Amino acid sequence: MADVAEAAEQILVSTVEAPHDTPADWTPNVLAFACHYCAFAAADLAGVMRLSYSPSVKIIRLPCTGKLDHIHILSAFEKGVDGVFAAG
Amino acid sequence: MSLLSNSTKRGSVLIVGGGIGGMQAALDLADSGFKVHMVQRDPSIGGTMVMLDKTFPTGDCAMCMISPKMVEAGRHLNIDVHTLAEVISVEGDAGDFRVKVKVAPRFVDADKCTGCGDCEVKCPKKVPSNFDQKLGQRKAIYSLFPQAVPNTRAIDSSQCICLNDPDKKRCRLCEKACKAGAINYEDKGKEIELNVGSIILSPGLELYDARVRQELGLGRWQNVVSSIQFERILSASGPYKGVVQRPSDQKHPVKVAWIQCVGSRDNRNANPWCSSVCCMYATKQSIIAKEHDKNIEPTIFFMEMRAFGKDFDKYVERAKNEYGVRYQRAMVSAIREEPGTGNLFMKYAAEDGSLMTEKFDMVVLSVGFQPHCDAEAFAKTFGIETTPYLFPKTSPFAPVRTSREGVFVTGIYQGPKDIPETVMQGSSVAGSVMALLAEARGTETIEKELPPEKDVAGEAPRIGVFVCHCGTNISSTVNIDEVVAAVKDQPGVTYVTNTIYACAQDNQDMIKQTIKEQNLNRVVIASCTPRTHEKLFQETIREAGLNKYLFDLADIREQCSWCHKGQNEVATKKAIGIVKMSVAKSRLQEPLKSETVGVTPECLIIGGGIAGMTAALSLADQGFPVHIVEKDSELGGLVKGVYRTLEGLDVQEFLKDRIEAVKEHPGITVHTGAEVKQTDGFVGNFKTLLTDGSAVEHGAVILATGGIEYQPTEYLYGQSPNVLTQRQLEKRIAEGENPKAGERYIMVQCVGSREEPNQYCSRVCCQDAVKNAIAVKQLNPEAEVMIIYRDIRTYGLREDFYKQARDLGVIFIRYDVDRKPEVAQSGNKVTVRTWDYMLNRELSLEADWLVLSTGLRPHPTTDQVGAMYKVTRNPDGYFLEAHVKLRPVDFPSEGLFVAGLGHAPKNIDETVTQALAASGRAGVVLSHKRLAVSGIIAKHKRELCMSCLSCLRVCPFGSPYIAEDGKISHNEIKCMGCGICAGICPAKAFQVNNFRDDQILAMIDAAVESEPGVLN
Repeated sequence: MADVAEAAEQILVSTVEAPHDTPADWTPNVLAFACHYCAFAAADLAGVMRLSYSPSVKIIRLPCTGKLDHIHILSAFEKGVDGVFAAG
Repeated sequence: MSLLSNSTKRGSVLIVGGGIGGMQAALDLADSGFKVHMVQRDPSIGGTMVMLDKTFPTGDCAMCMISPKMVEAGRHLNIDVHTLAEVISVEGDAGDFRVKVKVAPRFVDADKCTGCGDCEVKCPKKVPSNFDQKLGQRKAIYSLFPQAVPNTRAIDSSQCICLNDPDKKRCRLCEKACKAGAINYEDKGKEIELNVGSIILSPGLELYDARVRQELGLGRWQNVVSSIQFERILSASGPYKGVVQRPSDQKHPVKVAWIQCVGSRDNRNANPWCSSVCCMYATKQSIIAKEHDKNIEPTIFFMEMRAFGKDFDKYVERAKNEYGVRYQRAMVSAIREEPGTGNLFMKYAAEDGSLMTEKFDMVVLSVGFQPHCDAEAFAKTFGIETTPYLFPKTSPFAPVRTSREGVFVTGIYQGPKDIPETVMQGSSVAGSVMALLAEARGTETIEKELPPEKDVAGEAPRIGVFVCHCGTNISSTVNIDEVVAAVKDQPGVTYVTNTIYACAQDNQDMIKQTIKEQNLNRVVIASCTPRTHEKLFQETIREAGLNKYLFDLADIREQCSWCHKGQNEVATKKAIGIVKMSVAKSRLQEPLKSETVGVTPECLIIGGGIAGMTAALSLADQGFPVHIVEKDSELGGLVKGVYRTLEGLDVQEFLKDRIEAVKEHPGITVHTGAEVKQTDGFVGNFKTLLTDGSAVEHGAVILATGGIEYQPTEYLYGQSPNVLTQRQLEKRIAEGENPKAGERYIMVQCVGSREEPNQYCSRVCCQDAVKNAIAVKQLNPEAEVMIIYRDIRTYGLREDFYKQARDLGVIFIRYDVDRKPEVAQSGNKVTVRTWDYMLNRELSLEADWLVLSTGLRPHPTTDQVGAMYKVTRNPDGYFLEAHVKLRPVDFPSEGLFVAGLGHAPKNIDETVTQALAASGRAGVVLSHKRLAVSGIIAKHKRELCMSCLSCLRVCPFGSPYIAEDGKISHNEIKCMGCGICAGICPAKAFQVNNFRDDQILAMIDAAVESEPGVLN
């Protein structure tokens, strides 16, 4: 049994990538999914109030955060974004 | 109903006051065929609600809720908003009023202004902001608040440097800053004349000036603030950006005290009435303050906790138990500042009578409402009668009607009330006006004529991109030329240009022209937020013959230039990314058809009590046939057992009148002894089968299922002949069994209310007790009445009767829920033992009559009716409305409305109000021949669907259903386009138009392309 568990762990380790090193001046590229009615409105208000945040955050508007799908999050990471922010 | 002939009635309405109540009335009326003129004193609509941070009891953000409504009202084709305006005279009669309105100069031309705000940045004159309650500053040219509607700034003539220079030569900096040339120092204002069929007054109230109560120190001690100041302190867009800090030294306070009833329930230098909302807003403020800063220790000093509304008691319990808010029953006699520290010492008497001094870091005075200082002149202008307190005179049976026919009131001006009640009354006054002006509906509204839509299906995308400078709002941070250059070569883009103000009228024309010249079939505008401007641009491209869904708005102002000021390079890069994402989405856009469905202009009302009958009469007067289904053999409902209102009006007479009116009305069919057997359909098209065999086709449903009284099992009820309910006592009095001299009546409050499992206030019982106590004392002053209570909740203008009862010698003794009165039979009397907190000892009292103030419960059929119409109920069994604050008579599914006790306990006047509101809301639906369905809905592909029923379970609107073949189908008419179904569907059989997965994935690709992450 111990062998099986060990083998399974080895497979797992070999399929999971080691964490990447991040450069010192790194700012994460973040994609936000925001509900039209609340989080998107909040992002607008941040602008109206001239509040600042990292310009590498971009927002995709959804009719409701309930619309958010696994595929959107996985695809974003697959394509290389560093973080996903879902707000609603 | 009016005696006027049809020809003289106007199809337009004047609404005086653009707060949330006025706006609700305006939107309901304008959406159902009436032209609306809204007159507002301030430079923006919004009223009191826009100043609030959050709202009780849900903690929703006030601005997030009201802002879309303001935008809708501001943009509505049939609502004309006149700001900085006041009515100066009214002539004529119901159906045909002539009104003169004086519009003060704004000094900014609304037709030219784009709302960019460049002028405000340049204005050198700073003045204290009244909107921020003088805790912050604004400029002399200003907008009332960032989300103001109209978004045209105004110059404060008392502060402007130029306007105060005799030659008007000084400063003029705003004029130089305005690229649109909208500044006009020569503006003289104007006078306009309006011809309207009806007038709605919703001017709101003003706040009590607590500086009058000098002992509390407002205006003297810096860390004593009024509750509205604290509301601004809590607001993220307020003077302290939502950080709870003291005005004196910006320190974070720990001990914060709220003092209730400042300016309310006080005859000396203040107002005798209860302001209805302060107990709850203090609770809310203490909770929110604690959420902002967990170190805060809130204490609320109160006389009586009036948490009488739906779910309010639960909110207070949460404040106590989850947030640790301390409620101290005491009146504060004085506040003194500690020299040097800014801390405050408060003196009060503790419950055991001992005198306490306690130190606080900050004190909030919960100030009440009062009529505007010019209320008398205001009432005179409109020719309406007022009460001695200068509130408009109304009747509990007709709460929105004034003494002058055709002139209605709504909102807190009618009497202090909270937001949902104000919104409810807004719809209610709309319903009343719809009934009054029924035959003039549609005579003055306009509809836009549009060219036929160009067929672009199957064409390769030809996207036109317009990048807006927004004056310098975008272009000072984002390099527009770089953006234009970067999107030029994007696939599908055939034309790119820049524009100074995309929203200005001349540029709108330019966009239309370009669409034609360049044969564009998709448009992307890179400017501001879709939340305010999408509809405008959609209309623009539609006027050029394009389907309005072939449009996308890239927000490079609110979400780029404004928040990345000074970071021009990265902001430009981000803007390019945002526009590319929009282009990627646009490429995959398809023209969408907006379906319409026919409407059966009839209404079914379930329940024939006061709520059902009131709604029926209003709708039938509007011209829509109504069916009432009443389970009992006769109409009337619970009110059959009520004889007098608190004000002393004859309820039975009123009920008799209503029943007769219903029976005689040719538009109303009554089905007594019947229930709903089966129902099906959706907004505009319901089919309902009744147990009496009749089948009704109708476009809307009002659930007015009513309530019942709690049947007590406690306090010897049913065992002792001396124990009655308030209703039984009322009946005895009505039947002439007069109280005898020396007889003692002891009343016990909250029987069956405010205790688990019924942790809610039944709202009517305090007033029933006070009403019956007054009746007993008036019939025989020698009889004794004692009321054993927890909190006397005679809220609003009802407070007068509490005072009257005390003046008549009624004795009030308070009890706590964990020390309830004990009752025992002793001979032909009962003995009541209770603790007296004033005397600090137990009392043993003998009573001839023990009268129980029993609570209310929803009618047992609420459950079954709710299940049939798939509407939810709250844990107490009452119907749950679509939105606790802004949609108090709607259900999430369209075409269904609620009124009366089925929604929550309420008084007769409140039931009438809600019933009229339901008739107003139903009137909006029924007045349409066809209803348009939005193009942004979920589309269901049956061939992909596995009928796993996930969508059926999660859809809040009930649009997926099991079809006859046993598989899922989708009713697009019910769909609101939220896309929860699309998110959960494992087969991806659902896709939301314009938010399809392929579009979102394309946006992700474009986002990554412009800014790769660390891995790339």
